[in-house]
Amino acid sequence: MMLPALVILTAISILPLFYIIWMSLNNLTLLGGTGISSHWTGLGNWGLMFTDPGVWAGWLAMVIYFIATVGLEIILGLVAALVIHEVVWGKNLALSLILIPMFIAPVIVGLLGRFLVNPTYGLYAWVLRESGIYGGNILGGSVSAFVAVVLMDVWEWTPLVALITLAGLVSIQPQILEAAKVDGASYLERLRHIVLPSIAGIIVALLIRSMDALRYFDIIWQATNGGPANATKIIPLRLYESAFRFFHLGYAATIGLLMLAVSILVANLFTGILRQRGLLR
Amino acid sequence: MTRRGFLRITGAGLAGASLPWLAGCGGGSGSSGASAGGREWKRFSGMTINFISENTAPTSAIAANLTPFKKLTGISVTIQQLELTSLAQRVALDFGSHSGEYQVIYADPYQVMAPLHDRFTDLKEFMEDSSLPSVPKGTGDFIPTQLDAAGHFGDRLLALPYDAPTMIWCYRKDLFEKYHNRMQEDLGFDPIPSDSSTWEQYYRIAKWFNDNQDDVPYGAGHQAKQHDALMCDFSNVLWAYGGDYFEKGQKVGKLGTTDPGPSTLDSPEAIEAAKLYKKLIEIAHPGSTSWDWNDLGEAFGAEECAMCPEWHEFAAAWEVGSLKGNIGYARLPKGPARSANHYGGTGIAVNRYASEDQQKAAWLFVVWATSPEAQLMDLKSSVGGGTPTRTSVYQMPEVKHNKNPLTNMPNIVTAPAVLEAWEPQNIGLRPKIPSWNQCDTIIYSQVSQMLTAGKNPEDAMRDAKIEIDQAVKGVPSAI
Repeated sequence: MMLPALVILTAISILPLFYIIWMSLNNLTLLGGTGISSHWTGLGNWGLMFTDPGVWAGWLAMVIYFIATVGLEIILGLVAALVIHEVVWGKNLALSLILIPMFIAPVIVGLLGRFLVNPTYGLYAWVLRESGIYGGNILGGSVSAFVAVVLMDVWEWTPLVALITLAGLVSIQPQILEAAKVDGASYLERLRHIVLPSIAGIIVALLIRSMDALRYFDIIWQATNGGPANATKIIPLRLYESAFRFFHLGYAATIGLLMLAVSILVANLFTGILRQRGLLR
Repeated sequence: MTRRGFLRITGAGLAGASLPWLAGCGGGSGSSGASAGGREWKRFSGMTINFISENTAPTSAIAANLTPFKKLTGISVTIQQLELTSLAQRVALDFGSHSGEYQVIYADPYQVMAPLHDRFTDLKEFMEDSSLPSVPKGTGDFIPTQLDAAGHFGDRLLALPYDAPTMIWCYRKDLFEKYHNRMQEDLGFDPIPSDSSTWEQYYRIAKWFNDNQDDVPYGAGHQAKQHDALMCDFSNVLWAYGGDYFEKGQKVGKLGTTDPGPSTLDSPEAIEAAKLYKKLIEIAHPGSTSWDWNDLGEAFGAEECAMCPEWHEFAAAWEVGSLKGNIGYARLPKGPARSANHYGGTGIAVNRYASEDQQKAAWLFVVWATSPEAQLMDLKSSVGGGTPTRTSVYQMPEVKHNKNPLTNMPNIVTAPAVLEAWEPQNIGLRPKIPSWNQCDTIIYSQVSQMLTAGKNPEDAMRDAKIEIDQAVKGVPSAI
């Protein structure tokens, strides 16, 4: 009974995994020769990766980026969900409008962001300049460019967190909230003791966004190309360049495997939390 | 001597074997004797070939007018246009799998041809095959520096020059004329770009515009985003100051090599060039550090700066807009060594993994698409064509007469500047080496750090040299 499923799983998942592991142990490149050339290097790529300052710089940018985007998305998504939940009239319309960014392809978000902060004709650049908040070139400065790409990601994916959180909020029985209100609990107290413990979905949202943020690519590629001064060059961009620009496929596989390991660790962290709270069987 | 050899030598190939399609597409240059070559063009009738190209104006023009080729050969051509990085990736994967899906390839000399040079067919094989049409007017009709840079890798001819974007000095002629006397008085030299203009003078002109007028916000704009564009922009200054990426850099750029030797980016000339470049960007439009060539083209067209070094093909867009007739084009300023004008042209090549018949059909397309008549068609295209890569096209009466006044070929307005830029002593050629993509990334990352993160020019050049030396040895790194 299980055989077909096992065969499919092996073909689409296990074999590629072993192939990538094999790639990481070889100097596999498209440069030179007449096809893909490879020779066995053992742990050579791994040694090179752990001593490559570019890889460490990529991971540092990745960690800062990860904390900033996921943190902001959770906070803003939660607030948005709470606000929508309280809306009595036009709730569906408000929800539809809020969800729009999520349906735009990330590469378009990158292009859109780039246009909006363009110093020549960008609307946001103009507003910031005219209001005296920021007169510099947004994508031309290390900090401002980093903030810009973080905000582009937050704009696109906060609605996902809001949607998942809202699903949790809807499941809270109104009688419980009303009883708490009658007992004199303030809004913040109700939020802390009833609402937040009931929306376990936010941890799932956190898990999904975390997995996504670790392989974030499109928006930065479009908006800054990793610059200026490598300020926005997170690890997926470096992996892409190693594989498809420099054609060092073995080295790229090594970076990819490390990303996979980190992704598994992060996923385990969140599933651990869910299990601890009895939300995962 | 064979008929083909005779035709090639006398330059009469066009009239003989080559282009019976001329009458059909209205090339109008009076070529005749077309019927002589009809059968050799029809050999692969009914076949479909795929052409993968960067999304450039010449390919858009070709795509908009494929009917003459279809009529001539009976071959259908499917054209896929992509951004250059994506193209390089697709071509590499096609080669890696030996699938031969793309028979005709836009072979950027640096990002595609150099790293994958073994995967292209030597075009001499087709040129020596008497059953196939010859190159109209012979390969000698191509501008020599372009034939080498875009076509050769070592002693093999892998592509025929197809487009020829080259960086030149684009400036607001109206503003330079308006402020000419004041600038000359204040600066002590004639500011109008000329053969004697230097990068130091360019800097002073830019600064003068910043400080003394309100027509444009800034004097100069540059393409200094962390991107291939930054390497292109920086290289003009590097070469002008006598620096280069490798010891025999221009030869490496012309013919290509797999072993360029150690990098020379730590030379005093390269460091001087880096210092000047940093100085230029400090007073340039602040948007420069986030602009690639497209952004700069838009900014200049939107009157954000009075001058910029830019690819000459942007003239096609500017000369049909509000700035029509108000832009001047000149060779780039010189440094202590020379004037260097970055050449970014590309040839089209044939995939060696395609079947023999597909390769021959692809050759027919290569010959047709680079013929003088196709280039004239490109030039006149309403979708904004490219610039000819053949000397004979510049001699055609209708092209000559279009230079002044400008009518329906906006790109030709830059002809005097680019023809001078393509002279061997003025052309700037980046290295044609297999690891160029990695080296390119190292260069623009280091220069970006110098421009936006306070890294000093000496350190940027020395670090770039160290990393390039490793890349050339084939050592992978995540830059």
